[in-house]
Amino acid sequence: MRALVVEDDALLAEGLTTVLSRAGHTVVRATTGKHADVLLVNEEFEFVVLDIGLPDFDGFELLRRLRQRRSTTSVLILTARDAVEDRVHGLDLGADDYLTKPFSVTEFEARVRAMLRRGVAPATPWSVAGMTVDIAGKRVRIDERTIDLTPREWALLELFLTHPGRVISKDHIAESIFTFDDQLSPNAIEVHVSRLRTKIEPVGSRLRTVRGFGYLWDVGDE
Amino acid sequence: MNDAAPKPTSIRRRLLIFLIGSAALMVSCAAIVTYWVALHLANSAYDRALLDPALDIADNVRLDKVGAHIDLPEKALEALTYDQVDKVIFQVRSRENAIIDGVPDLPPAPDFDPGQHLFFNGSYHGEKVRVAALRSASGIVVQVAETLHKRNRLVGEILIAELVATALVALGSIALAWFGVTRGLLPFEHLRRELLTRTPSDLRSLTETPSPIEIAPLIIAFNQLLGHLRDANTMQKRFLANAAHQLRTPLAGLQMHLELLFRRELPTDVRTELERMHGATVRASRLATQLLALANAESAPQQGREREIVDLLTIASATARDWAPRAFDLKIDLGFSLEHAVILGESVLLAELVDNLIDNALRYTPAGGRVTVATGCDRDLPYLSVEDTGPGIPPAERGKVLERFYRITGTPGEGSGLGLAIVREIAERHGAELDIDACNEHNGTRVRVTFPRKVRSEGLVV
Repeated sequence: MRALVVEDDALLAEGLTTVLSRAGHTVVRATTGKHADVLLVNEEFEFVVLDIGLPDFDGFELLRRLRQRRSTTSVLILTARDAVEDRVHGLDLGADDYLTKPFSVTEFEARVRAMLRRGVAPATPWSVAGMTVDIAGKRVRIDERTIDLTPREWALLELFLTHPGRVISKDHIAESIFTFDDQLSPNAIEVHVSRLRTKIEPVGSRLRTVRGFGYLWDVGDE
Repeated sequence: MNDAAPKPTSIRRRLLIFLIGSAALMVSCAAIVTYWVALHLANSAYDRALLDPALDIADNVRLDKVGAHIDLPEKALEALTYDQVDKVIFQVRSRENAIIDGVPDLPPAPDFDPGQHLFFNGSYHGEKVRVAALRSASGIVVQVAETLHKRNRLVGEILIAELVATALVALGSIALAWFGVTRGLLPFEHLRRELLTRTPSDLRSLTETPSPIEIAPLIIAFNQLLGHLRDANTMQKRFLANAAHQLRTPLAGLQMHLELLFRRELPTDVRTELERMHGATVRASRLATQLLALANAESAPQQGREREIVDLLTIASATARDWAPRAFDLKIDLGFSLEHAVILGESVLLAELVDNLIDNALRYTPAGGRVTVATGCDRDLPYLSVEDTGPGIPPAERGKVLERFYRITGTPGEGSGLGLAIVREIAERHGAELDIDACNEHNGTRVRVTFPRKVRSEGLVV
């Protein structure tokens, strides 16, 4: 896939290019907001890795222009700022995900994969850590073994796989999955997660519990 | 020791000193003038009375063969020179200055024309006297003298009456001026109160409209200063944001390249060296973040980033997302026990506070341990606490760990010694209390930040 890396720091830009090239993407680099803007107007990219602190104008501004053109290109924001408001601002402007500098290569790769997965048509099966997920058929296979999931377990798995390495709170799970049903208690969510975890063993151990808060799909060395 | 600090001057005191001084001067001048006027009045009143017996005596001086003598019975003379208060004496001298009658030791009168009379001050037996002298056409001089008691008494009475009135007027003016000044200084008092109630973060301009013209320039100048401060603040903030970016971006690049190297086949010793470099890079990033956080916590907050109503639960939840992956890597059970705790604070700094507490706890807790982040309200006081099952901080060290770059000797790990200093700085800025104690008798650390009071606000679930 064609990727645009917008980053003014040469060292980091080179690293990002290497990682993305190895993952099989064609990478175009831009070091200024103006250059990136021109590229995004004239060429097609599947996704953009966008640094917020650019020499000429703010990455946020570039993102705003991109979304103004009704482009659906996925955008992963890189920010050196920790401020929560910056992240929220980026997501509000239509970024798909964000990473705070510095980040590990593994984390970056996982975020890019998850971001592309969310945009992809559900026809293609995913292969995650020895587990094949057929989205269209709502079927999961582990080592040629077909796993039967209830609709709720399926919704849970989809939520975790599209948010790898992210802590998802029980509140968020309740809101995003079970809205069509009657309100589910945190205890009920625990039961569903626990069943899902058992069903997809040994991959299930990646589904970590954050005590008193929620769950996280561990990226590991995926 | 030289403690001769210049005393602050008081407008009111200076004014009072000036008023009292000028009032005293005015009263003194009034007294002097009054004295002369009173003396003149007393003399002109009593001198006429003193002249009468002199005229009577002069009318009765007879000249015959024996010589000059007063043709008055003794009783009549006594009556003429009788006075209730003063001693009255008389003397009659001939043209040749020989004493005809009366006291012998009154000095002769100064020279003056016949048929005239004269008043003058003299002395008799060492006592001051007022003398009325009269020279008849035949050249006989009659002098009548009296002591000054009743004149002095009259002058004194006039003087006292006048001085009491003047002093009352002076005191009244001072009191009125004092009252007026106090009233006049009232706008300064309002200004003082407004400035006193300001928090360090509040750099808004002072209200200019209703102030008197004497104060308005002061307020305008002050507002200019506040404006400069706001600008400086904004600049500093922008500098900090840039510095964060400038420092962390190359570090992120360095870290990424090192991680890419790890994916290659590497000799063990090279890998070990690279891992050390990687560790140092991660630490440098963290240190950059912490130094900036500390600078941020110390700087006066920017306009628009003033205190807002924040729920500690929300802030702790956000940090949960950041720290859970690291906790899994370290095989530490990071857990949360979050209840609503609404405070007035700066969310960016509070997030930094939680970050540093969790970072510290994870750093010093061995694998298999537990770290728990809790928020809530205890007896109406919102709190945030992080406890761990690490080795704990000995009571003697608990104060010192809050100092910058202090690390307990022999501690493993790669901490910078800045974490708790940042926590303290941010807690102080929020007026919060910071307590460090053990989780139980044996080990563990619990750091608890208790905030001043719960904010109740409509639209928020408290």
